[in-house]
Amino acid sequence: MSSESSKKRKPKVIRSDGAPAEGKRNRSDPEQEGKYYSEEAEVDLRDPGRDYELYKYTCQELQRLMAEIQDLKSRGGKDAAVEIEDRRILSCVHFMTLKKLNRLAHIRLKKGRDQTHEAKQKVDAYHLQLQNLLYEVMHLQKEITKCLEFKSKHEEIDLVSVEEFYQEAPPDISKAEITMGDPHQQTLARLDWELEQRKRLAEQYRESLSNKEKILKEIEVKKEYLSSLQPRLNSIMQASLPVQEYLFMPFDQAHKQYETARHLPPPLYVLFVQAKALFKPHEESQDDESDSDAEEEQTTKRRRPTLGVQLDDKRKEMLKRHPLSVMLDLKCKDDSVLHLTFYYLMNLNIMTVKARVTTATELITPISAGDLLSPDSVLSCLYPGDHGKKTPNPANQYQFDKVGILTLRDYVLDLGHPYLWVQKLGGLHFPKEQPQPTVIADHSLSSSHMETTMKLLKTRVQSRLALHKQFASLEHGIVPVTSDCHYLFPAKVVSRLVKWVTIAHEDYVELHFTKDIVEAGLAGDTNLYYMALVERGTAKLQAAVVLNPGYSSIPPIFQLCLNWKGEKTNSNDDNIRAMESEVNVCYKELCGPRPGHQLLTNQLQRLCVLLDVYLETEIHDDSVEGPKEFPQEKMCLRLFRGPSRMKPFKYNHPQGFFSHR
Amino acid sequence: MERAVPPTVPLGQMEVFQALQRLHMTIFSQCFSPCGKFLAAGNNYGQIAIFRHSLPSACSLSAALSSEAKEESKKPIVTFQAHDGPVYSMVSTDRHLFSAGDGEVKAWLWAEILKKGCKELWCRQPPYRTSLEVPEINALLLVPKENSLILAGGDCQLHTMDLETGTFTRALRGHTDYIHCLALRDRNPEVLSGGEDGTVRLWDLRMAKEVQTIEVYKHEECSRPHNGRWIGCLATDSDWMVCGGGPALTLWHLRSSTPTTIFPMWAPQKHVTFYQDLILSAGQGPCVNQWQLSGELKAQVPGSSPGLLSLSLNQQPAAPECKVLTAAGNSCRVDVFTNLGYRAFSLSF
Repeated sequence: MSSESSKKRKPKVIRSDGAPAEGKRNRSDPEQEGKYYSEEAEVDLRDPGRDYELYKYTCQELQRLMAEIQDLKSRGGKDAAVEIEDRRILSCVHFMTLKKLNRLAHIRLKKGRDQTHEAKQKVDAYHLQLQNLLYEVMHLQKEITKCLEFKSKHEEIDLVSVEEFYQEAPPDISKAEITMGDPHQQTLARLDWELEQRKRLAEQYRESLSNKEKILKEIEVKKEYLSSLQPRLNSIMQASLPVQEYLFMPFDQAHKQYETARHLPPPLYVLFVQAKALFKPHEESQDDESDSDAEEEQTTKRRRPTLGVQLDDKRKEMLKRHPLSVMLDLKCKDDSVLHLTFYYLMNLNIMTVKARVTTATELITPISAGDLLSPDSVLSCLYPGDHGKKTPNPANQYQFDKVGILTLRDYVLDLGHPYLWVQKLGGLHFPKEQPQPTVIADHSLSSSHMETTMKLLKTRVQSRLALHKQFASLEHGIVPVTSDCHYLFPAKVVSRLVKWVTIAHEDYVELHFTKDIVEAGLAGDTNLYYMALVERGTAKLQAAVVLNPGYSSIPPIFQLCLNWKGEKTNSNDDNIRAMESEVNVCYKELCGPRPGHQLLTNQLQRLCVLLDVYLETEIHDDSVEGPKEFPQEKMCLRLFRGPSRMKPFKYNHPQGFFSHR
Repeated sequence: MERAVPPTVPLGQMEVFQALQRLHMTIFSQCFSPCGKFLAAGNNYGQIAIFRHSLPSACSLSAALSSEAKEESKKPIVTFQAHDGPVYSMVSTDRHLFSAGDGEVKAWLWAEILKKGCKELWCRQPPYRTSLEVPEINALLLVPKENSLILAGGDCQLHTMDLETGTFTRALRGHTDYIHCLALRDRNPEVLSGGEDGTVRLWDLRMAKEVQTIEVYKHEECSRPHNGRWIGCLATDSDWMVCGGGPALTLWHLRSSTPTTIFPMWAPQKHVTFYQDLILSAGQGPCVNQWQLSGELKAQVPGSSPGLLSLSLNQQPAAPECKVLTAAGNSCRVDVFTNLGYRAFSLSF
């Protein structure tokens, strides 16, 4: 394009070079063949350096001419205008040269650019090619790697080792000659072998399954047969019951009992067996059953405890009873029954007992007899010192410390009393102060104690019932003396029992005239305490009575305080001391006929007699006016005897007089 | 005020019975052995117990209270059943111990007495008038000059028994009620006796009859009718006599039969004795009273029994360092006073 435009201007320029100027005129007909002027081709022919020199020269000339013009113009003159005109034309020529040079320069530039562009394109093309190839190379490499890493499924199969394979496989599979050398063939062979083996084993498996099914079916059939047998047997047993009753062989009942008894814990079981053994020949005096609560045994409920009750629950857990218990009913001669229920505390490994007395006829309990038959105290101290408020197992103390139980005393009302004889009946023996890790129930221990303990229990119940009756009478002020004890006392007894009440242990200890008994250790808290008041006229005799639970083998102990003309006790009056001695020390003659339940009433009656003697034999004080308050009616040989001037307290039967011991 | 209750040991029938017996025991009589090392005590059950009383020769206060006085040494060495009834009085000679109770007197050899199963040398009964009831012998008295033993008690008579022959030589009558106590007046061999009838009678042994009678209750200064008139205790020191019982404890001048000093003790006294320049008495109440001859109470030393019946002084020349006073009465304990000022320890049955 630029060449076209430059061509149109060309006719104005007068070229110094002749040839090219001529060429130009012919340019107006570009389609004419022949020589046409191409500046592009000229560019190739000319030397850029020389062009540059030409340019510089032209510029210089131009400058010179201009300067000359300038001079001429400034000087003025006539020939100046022609000179100037010459110079102007020369300048115009120079301008034309400059323009050509400019065009040439442009053309060169364009050429250069075009060449550069072309080269650059080539380079780009090569570059692309290179990239493509490289990419392809990478792709191929990846593919190769993939192929190389390919694991065939056959490698996941655990094949038998090579040696084994050769040993086991039959030769038509192993094909040793081929496979030894060729690992590929070897693997194939191994796979073959594997497949065959698996097929075989699968076959075996299916066979075994079907066998099993068959056998299961057989078992089912047999089970059904057996289960149908049980109801038939039961019906036979039921049918035999009437026969058993007819023959007086309660086999079934005893069998049931033994069945439940098998669930008993060892100590209770020992007790059960020994009790049965003892009472076998005397069926009527004992009734033995094991009370079962089998459902409770099987279900144990567990509640999630709230924080506040956790300790309480732990204690309950520790004091838990075995759900089975043994009930023993001892029948005494007068138809009263002692019901004993024996329990077993599992965690503590001790046995406890709860007792209850029922009588043939309804008992009206007098006020003072409240404690006599109460379940809490009726069996207290059956053996001396056995108060049943402390656990007999020394190992329990550590267990109690863990859950903060101080003593078992707080829980005995609920759990029953852990008497020592109960442990012995269950065959449990706890050596003192030595906690044994495990104490097991021993039959021989139980059998050696069973008979004595049963006798003691019966005696205890009977003595308590006797006391019960006596108390009812005592509260009404009557001392019930049975006919076979009348010989111990004179016919006429004037002093009367006025009051008979229970007092508390603390109150007894606080009395001023009981100091000696307390200091001698005879007034413990297992005893029962009573206060009797005997009166005659103005004289009042207070008697504090200690009733030992072992009554009547252990006698009640009396302490006296007489209020008559001053207060007389054993510390200031020798005769009061003698009266106490008559009742406390000489008690054996007051026991009455065996089993000696009359001791207490006889002692009270004797006390009344003693008071009579005391009051009647008191010497009359001559200085005081008036008759003696108590005239002497008792027959006495001597009024005083010995250095202590004792009164005659001993009654002689049948002569009926009083003498000294 | 809370009273400490001792812990109770589980007591069977035997233990309870024994405890009751001990509680109701009364020791009526005591006697020291001739060597002074042993003390015999007799109680109301008829038993005699021998206690070893010897203290180490240093016999100072500290030794008495030291480990020598352990529990075991407070128990008797031997106890045996001497009589069926109570042992009301005992006396001792050089070789023999005489014990008397319900109507009989028995003799024991000191040398044999410590062996178990010791039997009495002899047992004698003075001739009694009545046979309905056997009278007790309340007092025994040795008369060394005659080598005889005087017994007095329930039958209101004084019997004299010759120790060599064993026969009963005299029976002195005069008392109208039973005799409590006897005392010997050394100079002229006279015996004083005090009885339930309220009189103190002097008997001359050679003439075997009553010489003097003092009716104590008739004297207003000392009589105490509300206590009775009985004379429970007697002691004599030649011209002087002190007696007590129902009436107040009084010092008498014998020749003039007048009471010179009344000792202001309201409780009846059961035993009295002269000791050095003091008069010791004991009776109802737990204390041993020490009196000056002027009638002032010098000291009252409490013992462990609620009432005392006998005092015994160990004044044997053989053991001069073991001078002690023992007191016993309405309990099973014998209190030992090494220094008369306080109770050192108690022996117990």
